[in-house]
Amino acid sequence: MSSRRSRQSSSSRISDDQITDLVSKLRQHLPEIRDRRRSDKVPASKVLQETCNHIKNLHQEVDNLSERLSQLLSTIDPDSPEAAIIRSLI
Amino acid sequence: MLVSFFSSFSSGAAAAVRAGDEIAELLWQNGPVVMQSQRSVKKSEPSGCDGYQLSAIQSQTQHQHQHQHQHQQQQQQQQQQQQQEREQEQQQQHLFMQEDEMASWLHYPLNDASFVADFCSDLLYPPPCANVNVAATAARASPVVAELRQQPPPKPPTPMAPPRRFENFGHFSRLNRPRVDESGPSNSSRAGNESTVVDSSGTPAVGPRSRVSEALHCDVSRGTVDGGAAALATSSADGGGREMGTCELTVTSSPGASSACAEPLPPRKSSSTPPPPAEDRKRKGIEIDPDADPDADECHSEDVELESADTKKPARGSTSSKRSRAAEVHNLSERRRRDRINEKMKALQELIPHCNKSDKASMLDEAIEYLKSLQMQVQMMSMGCGVVPMMFPGVHQYVPHMGMGIGMAMGMDMGMNRPILPFPNILSGSALPTPAAGAHLGPRFPMPTFHMPHVRAPDPSRISPTIQSNPLLSSLALQSQNQARVPNFIDPYQQYFGLRHMQLPLQQNQTPSGSSKPSTSKVGENLEKPPSG
Repeated sequence: MSSRRSRQSSSSRISDDQITDLVSKLRQHLPEIRDRRRSDKVPASKVLQETCNHIKNLHQEVDNLSERLSQLLSTIDPDSPEAAIIRSLI
Repeated sequence: MLVSFFSSFSSGAAAAVRAGDEIAELLWQNGPVVMQSQRSVKKSEPSGCDGYQLSAIQSQTQHQHQHQHQHQQQQQQQQQQQQQEREQEQQQQHLFMQEDEMASWLHYPLNDASFVADFCSDLLYPPPCANVNVAATAARASPVVAELRQQPPPKPPTPMAPPRRFENFGHFSRLNRPRVDESGPSNSSRAGNESTVVDSSGTPAVGPRSRVSEALHCDVSRGTVDGGAAALATSSADGGGREMGTCELTVTSSPGASSACAEPLPPRKSSSTPPPPAEDRKRKGIEIDPDADPDADECHSEDVELESADTKKPARGSTSSKRSRAAEVHNLSERRRRDRINEKMKALQELIPHCNKSDKASMLDEAIEYLKSLQMQVQMMSMGCGVVPMMFPGVHQYVPHMGMGIGMAMGMDMGMNRPILPFPNILSGSALPTPAAGAHLGPRFPMPTFHMPHVRAPDPSRISPTIQSNPLLSSLALQSQNQARVPNFIDPYQQYFGLRHMQLPLQQNQTPSGSSKPSTSKVGENLEKPPSG
């Protein structure tokens, strides 16, 4: 089976079932397609695309929050515990 | 007077030739405009002359003798058609020009057999370019088609018959070689050259070109358009020399996009030539996929579908070939799907930091973990934004958020790169009412206050000012106070961490002052254990 599959795609040395399983696991974390009725029919490429988009969104959110936190940090007393918390977050 | 007209042409052509190829290009750009306008029956004699000169220049650039010979032939034919109106004469002139052009650069493919195998794949590979090429060629071919129509009836059906024979590009390229060779030299007439071109280009271009031909409203010209496109593709496929020059000249006639397409043709052609002819049409879409954009991919897929649909039905009569075709289509669609998935995996891999896994499964695992950690991080940071306002006394409504965030922070994977690592230390400190062990626990003092206000409103107002002023002193002061509050302090935790409340009550029995440190770590461990376990 591996030889047959390797012929099609040399990069995948694992079974498609594994990929499907991981894709379904990934789907659980994606709020966009988590509630789809035909959850078993969501194509893997779509899931991967959604994952990429989600990660990009999260990156953006993290950047925004970091900026906001640093702004907050500048407004408060640097010695305060809150500042320490915020610094740990950034 | 027509004779003088022609002679002026020839003299003008000669002058233009001496002037250089740039003029030829400029004139050439006028040429197709004129030819396109021919369909709309425009009288543009000067431009027609220019085009004619260009064709003369072109041929001279490539194949002087042939062109002159044909030129003379054209002159004779034009003289014969003196009775017709001026427009028709112009049309025919342009028709002849087209034939010259096609014949001139047709001969090169004939002489050089390597093109023949290539232009079938060339036709297909850049569909967006091909459309432009075809459009440009079709513009030129339409007058030729008109000429074809004038010819005896068997001619038009002839181009259609060979396409059926050559379903595969490779087939027709191999089969056409002798045919083209035969018909080329043997055909001295314009129509003969065109039919040759039509035959050689035949089937492969039928599919995608059908759209263009429809746009041109020339069904009969389908073969001709194909021939023109094939010849153009062939000439463009050839990487060097005069053919390229011709191709460039012809390409500039089109809106300029096709010239851009001409370049990509040779490299892709070389890579795509080997594949089995049966899959050529479909493979073009596949092979282009990794290279081209998604847009090009869609265009390609459309072309593939159109082409395969068009060529499949009329071409294949036997069921076995249909089945094999279906299997091929299936394989191709499967391959395309896999390619898309691989593409997305690569993109995902780039997003995930420190991902050096080549294995798909492990990469997906890492992606899942990274996604989880990112979500957690965002949650924590959004909660951290709520921490700042807590410096004000009485602002205890944030405590629940804080508690939850802390609980989740404790529970999450400590391996996170960024800001999470220091957090557990603070959190563990917060779990303890009095980190009286030392000053290093000072920064953590306020943490308990965040929790306490949740239970008792007056506490933070009392404690926070003390803490802010002198953490050490306040820690000592808090010790006694916190002893009483330990149960209260623990309660909010139990609230938030359902699993962990089992361990937390253990802390109540310990003396905060004496066992602050071990309990701190203990609480931290307890809080961390369940998630990791």
